[in-house]
Amino acid sequence: MGNKKGSWLTAALLAPTTLWFLIMLVFPLIVVVIYSFGERAPVGGYVASLTLEQYANLPSRLKAFTNTMTFAPLGALMCLIIAYPLAYYLAVKVSQRWKLLLLVLVILPFWTSMLIRTYAWIFILGGRGIPTLLEIIGIEGVRLINTPFAVVVGIVYGYLPLMVFPIYVSLDKLDKRLLEAASDLGSTPFRSFVQITLPLSMPGVATGCMLVFILLMGEFLIPAFLGGGKVFFIGNALVDLFLQSRNWPFGSAVAVMLVIIMLVTVSLYMRFTMGGKSGRDTSIM
Amino acid sequence: MVMRVYSFVVYLFLYVPIGIIVLFSFNSGRHASEFVGLSSKWYGKALSNPFMMDALTSSLIIAFSAATLSSIMGTTAALALQRMRGPVRVIFDGLIYISIMIPGIVIGIATLVALVTVFDILNPVLAAIWPDDNRPPKLSLGYISVIAAHTLFTMSLVIVLVRARITGMDRTLIEASQDLYATPWQTFCQITLPQISPAILAGFLLSFTFSFDDFIISFFVAGANTTLPIYIFSSIRRGITPEVNAIGTMVLVVSLTLLIIAQVLLRSRENKSSRDN
Amino acid sequence: MSKDYEDDLPITASKFMDELRRYHKGSVSRRHFLGVTGLGTAMAVMSSAVPSLAPGRALAAGNLSNKMVLATWPNYHNPKTLENFTGATDVHIQANVFGSNEEMIAKMQAGGGGVNVIENTNYTFQDYVKLGLLTPLDLSRIPNYDPSTQNPKFAEASTVNGKVYGVCKNWGTTGLVINSSKVKNVPKSHKDFFDVTMGEGSGHTILHDYQLTTIGAALCALGYSFNSVNAGELAKAEKLLIDSKPHLFAITSDYQPGLRSGDAWMSICWSGDGKQLNTDLPEMKYVIASDGGELWSDFYSIPADTPSLDTSYAFINYMMDPKNQVLDAEAHGYPTSDSRVAALQPASVQSDPILHPAKELFDGLEFGAAVTLTDPIRAEVMARFKSA
Repeated sequence: MGNKKGSWLTAALLAPTTLWFLIMLVFPLIVVVIYSFGERAPVGGYVASLTLEQYANLPSRLKAFTNTMTFAPLGALMCLIIAYPLAYYLAVKVSQRWKLLLLVLVILPFWTSMLIRTYAWIFILGGRGIPTLLEIIGIEGVRLINTPFAVVVGIVYGYLPLMVFPIYVSLDKLDKRLLEAASDLGSTPFRSFVQITLPLSMPGVATGCMLVFILLMGEFLIPAFLGGGKVFFIGNALVDLFLQSRNWPFGSAVAVMLVIIMLVTVSLYMRFTMGGKSGRDTSIM
Repeated sequence: MVMRVYSFVVYLFLYVPIGIIVLFSFNSGRHASEFVGLSSKWYGKALSNPFMMDALTSSLIIAFSAATLSSIMGTTAALALQRMRGPVRVIFDGLIYISIMIPGIVIGIATLVALVTVFDILNPVLAAIWPDDNRPPKLSLGYISVIAAHTLFTMSLVIVLVRARITGMDRTLIEASQDLYATPWQTFCQITLPQISPAILAGFLLSFTFSFDDFIISFFVAGANTTLPIYIFSSIRRGITPEVNAIGTMVLVVSLTLLIIAQVLLRSRENKSSRDN
Repeated sequence: MSKDYEDDLPITASKFMDELRRYHKGSVSRRHFLGVTGLGTAMAVMSSAVPSLAPGRALAAGNLSNKMVLATWPNYHNPKTLENFTGATDVHIQANVFGSNEEMIAKMQAGGGGVNVIENTNYTFQDYVKLGLLTPLDLSRIPNYDPSTQNPKFAEASTVNGKVYGVCKNWGTTGLVINSSKVKNVPKSHKDFFDVTMGEGSGHTILHDYQLTTIGAALCALGYSFNSVNAGELAKAEKLLIDSKPHLFAITSDYQPGLRSGDAWMSICWSGDGKQLNTDLPEMKYVIASDGGELWSDFYSIPADTPSLDTSYAFINYMMDPKNQVLDAEAHGYPTSDSRVAALQPASVQSDPILHPAKELFDGLEFGAAVTLTDPIRAEVMARFKSA
């Protein structure tokens, strides 16, 4: 591994990725940080300056931050609760013949547009959807659309496949002979699950939760469509700042803050979920 | 049994909204909220609409490019990183970690702000040094910026997936192969690649799906180009007509067909390889 | 900022008309010339004999692209008008719907996105021109536009520094729409409107995703000017808006679907939407608030970076044809500033109380002021209200 040829090969393999990271990640983030210390031009946009004004104004978006920080973990948790049994069923119980088909069926909704699928829920949860059905059985005055509930439904619907897949992948690697051996040794199915299956699936669970959480932290569409402008995420605040009030410096400050919050929460999260095996090369990161 | 019923309910949850989309694509009325009668006219409308077709083409080009680039770069990077330790490895882990963690909306904003700033500097320079002063090229947002921004995220996704697979890989085979004096390239082709190819394939598919469906990054960095999600977003704001449902249904049917073809191909290959063994 | 604005105030109506007439002279004399020499007749005969010269080509000179993008508002065109244009010219139209003028100008500022024609509102022209985002119009390329039949009250806002940047699409008022079968005491003012929102109608009100009308409504309810940029008054308006937020159904400028499905009972409303709703659902009442509101006119303008100037002009010229304006108005409802259009419409349209409100209500309305478009306090109040 220490030989010269090997390290040249390694460098060549890494070069395109390195370039990509520098141009598309490091440089843009530096620009955003610079902008966040600037001022809004009179007609909108950016004027160079060095001020902390934008950061001082951050508390005016507190509700958007707390909303996001509530709905992102909640949404990830709901996805996990609903996805895990399905992933387990697909990986362990389903015969090889049906596996692929059922797996494809999970991801297939992903191949219609997220927008259209979310739009379908406006219709289902709207006044002429479920509330009308409920009225038929005598429950009146139920309002679902433009509520936190509608947003959670939209989140679970939108991100479920992202949770099912990583869990499935990690469970699928599980050697089923282990389970057989455990059962031969007199372990109950529940004990086998807790002692063998669950730990083995943790990387998948961690990946899935991370993916959903991260995507939710920047979510814009679901609250915009199903929250009716009432359930407001940071993503909505950012779109507003860049595409409506044209306040680029403040928008940059909000974006920087969002990234900081994510770095902190995700690092903490990883320490908690993977602290026990930090010495190992964990498969998530 | 309970598991089966549960899974059935989840599939129902996943497919009822899609059923509604498909049903309403055959609505002869203009408004999406009332079903008037059966008609396939919205399919004709959608297919003859140049905006829809342009948006679809853009999305396919972008998604295919982003998925291909990220599969290649992600796999090579994962293999390279596997051979490394020390500070470079730590820096890369950090970059991968950040690019996955940063929300798409921030990538969109950062790319927009950075590229607009660079273009504002470069365009006058280009105009000044361009020999033919009639038509100096003008840098602007477009396909390339969308592909580049999508690839940032999807590439890291592929690295993570492939690396997870490498970690779970059976090392004894590699060692055996090396003991038998196979060249590294032979070892890679015959041992490593077959073992990590499911992860690469999964990475490609995830990348394609992510890119094809992405709205928010494209919304910021697509410039004058319209991708399918941007087109659908403006259609929904216009007051959705069944035309959008027809588009959604067609996308679904096409991907379904592709998946069936892929499965048939895979199965025939599997059969062949099991016979060979 | 406000000083600039004073300096840039539109010129007087009569001066404007003179300007326009002078501007228009070229086109009139050409038409006159064609008529006198008989060339016009000859061309008409030729074009009917040679199919390739027929309507499509005759509609507009120049090279038309096969598609164009129109930046417009919800429920603002008759689909038939747009389809007819496509039928005649083979130019497909994509209508991009916006929620506010602020959003529209932001999109133009961020690089346009290949828009051919925008339908901006009277108070936005000062800033669009200052930012160099619009093409000054060559009215000789819009022969269907006749300045002499325009009502200057609505048409003059698009003239900045003596140049014309837009032709008037139509005008309207901003009031309230109330589902009278759900709300017993139909509000007569913005004050009533907010009271009902936070009372019997809780959970069923829509406010626009638009600083001008939403902040304007709150300002009117408090007895201030619709256009106020006074920090103290705006702070009180912000408080009213934030207090009402838990009682809202939604914040959106596309409010018809919510009202039609019965989820929403009340909304801030533009008169044409009020007319559309009232026609389909008579219980939907359009109210011009007694404590003020907005009078506005929208224009067809061409962005400076339009992908095809010829297509932009062809579309505007087509839309300026009184017949097409009548057809378009059948769907959107709004009155136009063009007297030729009024002459072609049934008398009931001219006497419609929603579209042409009584004088005493009409007089209380204000045009939106240019300062509101970029006023940082109003932008921030709106953004804070939305994220509250």
